[in-house]
Amino acid sequence: MSQNLTLTLIIVGIALVVLTTIILKKGRISEKHALLWYAMSLIIILAGIIPQVLVEISQKLGFTVMSSFVIGIFIGILIMLTMALTVMIAGQKKKTTLLIQEISLLKAEVEKLKNK
Amino acid sequence: MKKVLIIIPAYNEEDSILKTCTKIKDYNKKHKTNYDMIVINDGSTDNTKKILEENNIPHINLIHNLGIGGGVQTGYKYAYYHNYDIAVQMDGDGQHDVRYVEKIIKPIIDNKADMVIGSRFISKIDTFKSTFTRRIGIKVISCFMKFATHKKIYDTTSGFRACSKEIIYDFSISYPSEYPEPITTAELLKKKYKVEEVPVEMNEREGGVSSIRYWKNIYYMLNVCLALLAVKIRRYKRCHRI
Repeated sequence: MSQNLTLTLIIVGIALVVLTTIILKKGRISEKHALLWYAMSLIIILAGIIPQVLVEISQKLGFTVMSSFVIGIFIGILIMLTMALTVMIAGQKKKTTLLIQEISLLKAEVEKLKNK
Repeated sequence: MKKVLIIIPAYNEEDSILKTCTKIKDYNKKHKTNYDMIVINDGSTDNTKKILEENNIPHINLIHNLGIGGGVQTGYKYAYYHNYDIAVQMDGDGQHDVRYVEKIIKPIIDNKADMVIGSRFISKIDTFKSTFTRRIGIKVISCFMKFATHKKIYDTTSGFRACSKEIIYDFSISYPSEYPEPITTAELLKKKYKVEEVPVEMNEREGGVSSIRYWKNIYYMLNVCLALLAVKIRRYKRCHRI
């Protein structure tokens, strides 16, 4: 693996750690999700520090160019994350719907009682 | 005597909602029936809310627009909380005729069905049956419905339906937010509920805009067909009242 690619992986990993920490500090991400991003960063940094592991895996999987393998991993991670977020959004939508319905029903009952 | 609730979802129906509700009130007076009604104002941005309040029409104002599924489900929740025996879903745009309510609730009262769909396509009477493209879409959905549930339903998208107490509870727990009519029908059939269709006449909408707009017909059909395939591979359990 080229030195440039190793360096890029380490820089991207560190940037991800910094970014996650900033967002976490501002309270715009939950600890649970921050942990997931830290884990991703760690994997990326480790891949940069110990490139031999990546080289071996890519060779076993039949990748001729190392960069294709790294891009492949990124795309795979992003697909999994998007899928997890889609599931999460569907769950949140259900909860929001339930809340809107129950509040609206309660408001109607309160209005009815007030008018009595 | 069974307690019947007519659920009327309404989104920007200022042109027709009063007429629809007045027809129900007049029908009750004339035929000595006692159908209660509840309008679910799904966050309308026109004068629907004002009209409902000024005319003392029982209604629930959703604090945010939820779309057809969320709106109708609120009606089923209301029916469940107020212990109704039968809930009839009816559009607020004047398409559905209150004269047919008696006909669609009869199989439920006679214990012959759990849900009854008011159908445009099993009637011999020449009545308004939707546009040509939508009729084709409904036929395709009907084929997918047969594939998913092994039962032929002709009017898969009809929003004129009556449900038993058990289904009121089922719907109050779970109801799809999008494409609710064909999906709930398929789900009920998978849960081994008895679903029947009775012929009804429908009118052209008197105002407002349909939730299924022309350019969205194909997109709607594709989504419903996919949802029906998902229903086919899912396992369902009935929701039992606690």
